[in-house]
Amino acid sequence: MAEAVAGRGRRPALGAVGWLGFAMLGTIVLASVFAPIVAPYDPTVTTGRPFESPSTTHLLGTNDIGQDILSELMWGGRVSLAIGALAAIVGTAIGTLVGVLAGYFSGWSDAVLMRLADVVLVVPFLPLMILLAAYVGPSIASLAIVIGFLVWARPARVVRSLVLSQRSRDFVVAARSLGAQHTRILRLCILPSVFSLSLAEFVQLASRAILLEAALAFLGLGDPVQKSWGSVLFYAQARGALLSPAWTWWVLPPGLLITGAVLGLALLGYELERILNPRLRLR
Amino acid sequence: MMPGSPLANLAGEEVGTLTAAERDQVMRQAGLDRPLHEQYAIYLGDIARAELGYSYQRQRPVAEVLIERLPWTLLLTGVALIGSTALGILFGALAGWRRGRRSDLGALGVFIFLESLPGFWLAMILVAIFAVQLRIFPTFGARDLYSGLEGLAYWGDVARHLVLPVTTLVLITVSATFLTMRASMLSVLGEEYITVARGKGLAERQVLFRHAVRNALLPVATVFLLNLGQTVAGATVIETVFSYPGVGRLMYEAVLARDYPMLQGGFLVITLSIVVANMFADLAYPLLDPRVIRHG
Repeated sequence: MAEAVAGRGRRPALGAVGWLGFAMLGTIVLASVFAPIVAPYDPTVTTGRPFESPSTTHLLGTNDIGQDILSELMWGGRVSLAIGALAAIVGTAIGTLVGVLAGYFSGWSDAVLMRLADVVLVVPFLPLMILLAAYVGPSIASLAIVIGFLVWARPARVVRSLVLSQRSRDFVVAARSLGAQHTRILRLCILPSVFSLSLAEFVQLASRAILLEAALAFLGLGDPVQKSWGSVLFYAQARGALLSPAWTWWVLPPGLLITGAVLGLALLGYELERILNPRLRLR
Repeated sequence: MMPGSPLANLAGEEVGTLTAAERDQVMRQAGLDRPLHEQYAIYLGDIARAELGYSYQRQRPVAEVLIERLPWTLLLTGVALIGSTALGILFGALAGWRRGRRSDLGALGVFIFLESLPGFWLAMILVAIFAVQLRIFPTFGARDLYSGLEGLAYWGDVARHLVLPVTTLVLITVSATFLTMRASMLSVLGEEYITVARGKGLAERQVLFRHAVRNALLPVATVFLLNLGQTVAGATVIETVFSYPGVGRLMYEAVLARDYPMLQGGFLVITLSIVVANMFADLAYPLLDPRVIRHG
């Protein structure tokens, strides 16, 4: 009875850390989503002299061909965040599916799927991603799919352990002994808690995916048509920004934005996981 | 940029002027005209004979180039891995020991922040500050190519080139070890033998290092393995920023040149070394924790 009350009772609220993450992420997302309205210039057009230092007309200065860097970063955020979100959707979907299958129908399918997850966890991402990205070619969709296929192992493991513990709960055992079918047990007893946990995992994956996309784009493997934060840094490196004072306005801001988005997502995901993972909550 | 056909690199600049027949001949020489499954079967057979193929870009055997580059990557990742593990254990132990105090929360914040940094960007910032502005460390490479240094001076030069890449790698990989060590300390500190050690009247320092840290180290061994892959992956980008002549940069150059044999060879070597390292660690685990033997 006491446990039922605790389980049904109010969920712990988002703490200060969670709100901080939410605020960081929210600011960056809003600035990117509304880039067409709020960005001061068209980032693809030359609007100043090359290598202009920050001023009131160009708040973050200009790049080597006189494009406004602030506008470039706002537009670039759309690409970076979109790839992060799409990759996280792919990764969470695969991870959740694998986790549920492995956890619920244990036995050989569990063994096979989890060994597969081990392989994905251990293989060094970046070389493999470089290889895959080189083969499939760059576009937002293909990058998102490649990244998604490389990050599903963690959610799969977390979801699996949740399903394992849910499956042996009294009400599931009772339902099964009453003759309920697998689909009914999954739908009513297992999946609701899995989905809320998947949300937390989605946020964590998005943070990883943004970092990975940035690294790929920095290596010049991003979409050449659409600049992301990573490809802004690729151009900065290629045009020798590090050797001039321009690094303070051309190299620092994109990295800080990546860090801000990743950190915001990580903090938010950390809190969500604490709130939404019943296994952690019971402790 | 991507995608592209290796044809351009096989045939050189005349690729545009080749007739269809000449183009076919180039493709046939490289075996690219066969169906994919046949190419794959040939590839597997070659691997079994340790035959990694011929680099289109460098016109040299892939294995030869890899052997040249591998020591640099091993040096870089080896030093970085030792550094990040040692620092992660030290700070993790101290933070766990001072749980909930301001120093613990501060360290937690710093390490979570470090985990969010893009490695290549951190590398760029370090280059801009320490190599370009302050001129303390070299901007690129693994050694001075034309200095003719020998003996101790040579190794000093190598070490100077190693500082910035290693610092970057340590900073971006250290938090996994830190977080694990801290969590592990928290659970160990709740154990009864810690209370007993305190009850015996041992100094706090002795309780910390002799009783708590040693037992808290076990989960770190597992993270060490996962970090191994992360370090190698991180090294790929960081070698590129620093033009460090390792396998990571080699792979990057191979991507740009569509040098598929080189890419596959590099990836194979990286993956194999990680699998082998994992195997060794699995074998070594019972030495660290005799309890696992019983569970078979």
